[in-house]
Amino acid sequence: MSALGQRLRLGAPAALVPLGAVAVAAAVGAGVMLAAGVNPLLGYEAMFRGALSVSNIDFAVAGFTAILAMSLAFAIPARMGEYNLGGDGQLVAGGIAAAAVALYVPGPAALLLPLCVVAGMLAGGTLASVSAPLSTRAGVPVIISTLLLSTPAVALTSYLVRFPMAQEGSPVPQTPRLPDAAHLPAFPGMSYTNAGLVLVLAVLLVTVYVDARTPVGYEVRVAGANRGFAAYGGLSVPRLTLGTLAAAGAVAGLAGAVIVMSQPFRFIDDALTAPGYTFAGVAAALLAGGRPALLPVTAALFTILSVGSAGMERDVDVPRQLGQVLQAVVILVLALRVLATRWIAARARRAAGGRA
Amino acid sequence: MTGSTAVGSAAGGAPPAAELRGITKRFGPVLAVDGVDLALERGTVHAVVGENGAGKSTLMSVLYGLHRPDAGQVLRDGREVRLGSPLDAIAAGLGMVHQHFRLFGSLTVAENVVYRAEPARFGVLDRRAAQERVAELSARIGLDVDPTARVDTLPLGVRQRVEILKALHRRAEVLILDEPTAVLTPGEVDSLFVVVRRMAEQGTTVALVTHKVREVLEVTDRVTVLRDGVVTARLTTAQTTAGEIVEAMIGRGLVPAVNPRGAVRGDPVLEVDGLRMPAAPGASRVQDVSLRVSAGEVVGIAGVSGNGQRELVEAVVGLRRPESGGVRLHGRDLAGLGVRERRRLGIAYVPEDRQGMGTAASLSVADNLALGHHRTPPIGRRGRLSPRALRAQAAELVRRLGVKTAGVAVPVSSLSGGNAQKVVLARELHHEAPLLVVEQPTQGVDVGAGEEIHRLLLDVRSRGGAVLLVSYEITELRALADRVLVMLDGAVTAELDAAEATEEVLGAAMVQAGRAGSPAGSASGGGER
Repeated sequence: MSALGQRLRLGAPAALVPLGAVAVAAAVGAGVMLAAGVNPLLGYEAMFRGALSVSNIDFAVAGFTAILAMSLAFAIPARMGEYNLGGDGQLVAGGIAAAAVALYVPGPAALLLPLCVVAGMLAGGTLASVSAPLSTRAGVPVIISTLLLSTPAVALTSYLVRFPMAQEGSPVPQTPRLPDAAHLPAFPGMSYTNAGLVLVLAVLLVTVYVDARTPVGYEVRVAGANRGFAAYGGLSVPRLTLGTLAAAGAVAGLAGAVIVMSQPFRFIDDALTAPGYTFAGVAAALLAGGRPALLPVTAALFTILSVGSAGMERDVDVPRQLGQVLQAVVILVLALRVLATRWIAARARRAAGGRA
Repeated sequence: MTGSTAVGSAAGGAPPAAELRGITKRFGPVLAVDGVDLALERGTVHAVVGENGAGKSTLMSVLYGLHRPDAGQVLRDGREVRLGSPLDAIAAGLGMVHQHFRLFGSLTVAENVVYRAEPARFGVLDRRAAQERVAELSARIGLDVDPTARVDTLPLGVRQRVEILKALHRRAEVLILDEPTAVLTPGEVDSLFVVVRRMAEQGTTVALVTHKVREVLEVTDRVTVLRDGVVTARLTTAQTTAGEIVEAMIGRGLVPAVNPRGAVRGDPVLEVDGLRMPAAPGASRVQDVSLRVSAGEVVGIAGVSGNGQRELVEAVVGLRRPESGGVRLHGRDLAGLGVRERRRLGIAYVPEDRQGMGTAASLSVADNLALGHHRTPPIGRRGRLSPRALRAQAAELVRRLGVKTAGVAVPVSSLSGGNAQKVVLARELHHEAPLLVVEQPTQGVDVGAGEEIHRLLLDVRSRGGAVLLVSYEITELRALADRVLVMLDGAVTAELDAAEATEEVLGAAMVQAGRAGSPAGSASGGGER
């Protein structure tokens, strides 16, 4: 059998499962709509129109940018078997840092734009990095420490925009509007779609490259496959953990910076976390199944689900929560896939007759 | 002795306890077993031998209802039985002890033994009856097991006894043991064989699946040899020789690789001085070990598993920090250096724990072959990694060592034990490091592949490499080593030249080590990995 044939054989079911998950979710959604007395075709059409019609695409792309960034923030450490669930904290840390630089550091756009972006990435990266020594020295699992560190970070930014950084006289907890020099340049004719998309796509390209074409990417994969093997080969698992978490936090921080540097150019309390970018990103990363190059596709899907469901609510009166339900169904089916793979592996092992 | 067994009952006399007729089984394009006949006569120990992939495990899986054959029949006491699942097989009086035990670690021995056939009172498990039943069964066949012990606290050898008791409790009359000695220390192997003989005397029929010829000669009555899914020999143990069995297994005579001795000898490469490590959970102590390995020399470490060999090796390669004492490579002190630095200075290492350390089973053969080479040309160059060079190097190494694999892109988990071990060796030999540390190089490896691995290690020696070889197999040490050190409870208790290290002398030292504690099982202590 040729190597290509082999790859196709092994690859086919692996690709079918995520597609199947989406199909099952779509079917469940259709069932819910039917039960609610809505024609599913019209419902889905409204959902797609809500995300992709000419009037909505601008806003949808901004959502896509955030979800893609958050899917990277989850996917990078997941490559070595560590799960970053602290995206919300890293997101707001990046957002507040970028807002602080924009509000308190005067300067021209050429200086302020990169400074804000870097500050956001540093803040998110630093917060995520804390979980690395917690895991490698103190034995606290990354999945737990990232999640637990997220809540205080969100609370702290919430305090900051209510008191020290608050816009005086505003009924909403938010910072003043950032100076013009800190506004990310938008695409012509767009107001939400801006340079942030380019930045996140660049990060995606770097990630794909590092994963496939550098020794570090190889080491991360090795550590993800077998820690004992990595240590035996002389790889530093603590350093790899720190590196992937710092990178993940930096991407999340970038997403936060991009959001506050876009319309309406403020850090508004809750505005970064309420849309659920973090978990849409987690879902997109899970659906991509550890293949960074697939992230744009899965992130786009989850963007349509989350942004489009508002349009669906408006047009056909199906609650927007259906979008979240569909996201959850996709994840559930993927979880079942783990069971299915185990079952298939067990069968294969038996088929091989326990040959060592 | 030949085809007549296939007719079984027609030959007159009692029918075999279990019989397979014309069994054929394919997996996709692979014909695993092709028209095999096998008759297990009541009360005999019947060896089913062959190399990995010869079809012996598949055949036993058919007998135990794990696989349905594509053609052929299974007979119990001369009557055909249809086995849809292991539950059917158990009901038909068949039992199997798998290589990987299927026990509940958090339950007691008695609870495991009676699982699915519990003595109950008022619908509740009757613990005392269960314990009595276990005590009675173990007394009958001479197994020493505490019915109240939690299974996860027991050494592997004892867990295996629990599996045997479980099968007997379910009234298995035909017991299949799949590679039962793979996980055992030499002492545990001896006591297992005593139990096997006792069971046979009491009328239990035992099928022993193995690839170790020595075991076949030691404990069985009959031998069926498989190669590439067909029977290549049916022998009576008392009338055959190791050579005859091996030839049937690998299809050619075997010329064992033997150290020519006395030739090349160079400067000291590895020097260990006064190495000490305290005992820790899961680790044995090391007491004042000093040794030296020179260029062109193979130094063997003998001893029962769990007497400090692993800790010594890990201190040498940098995975474990010694309490005191020094390790020097080419005269340079390695104190404070990690694995990466030591590897760079010239240490290659083939670990005993192939699954946990030596390979990443889910990664491809190519990725497994690249570890440690991924930052040096041609694979790694200036912070970049060339997937093409990685595959090319893998293909070259696979070709050079004759690794049998469907390609370099398939995961290592799809390889047999011997071929996975060749992957580890290929990667480590490719470093061309002055010092090669090897643990149990032929564990779980076919006879044929084992012989090739021995030749590769002797090649290292003849090229002037220094080899530190840890093995629990006396024959392996005798074949390969120039000098042998015996370790007991973390200390080197004997140092022998190859000429003095006869089987008797070494065996005595190791048996002494094995019996120094209590019965065979507990001697392994922290030796499990």
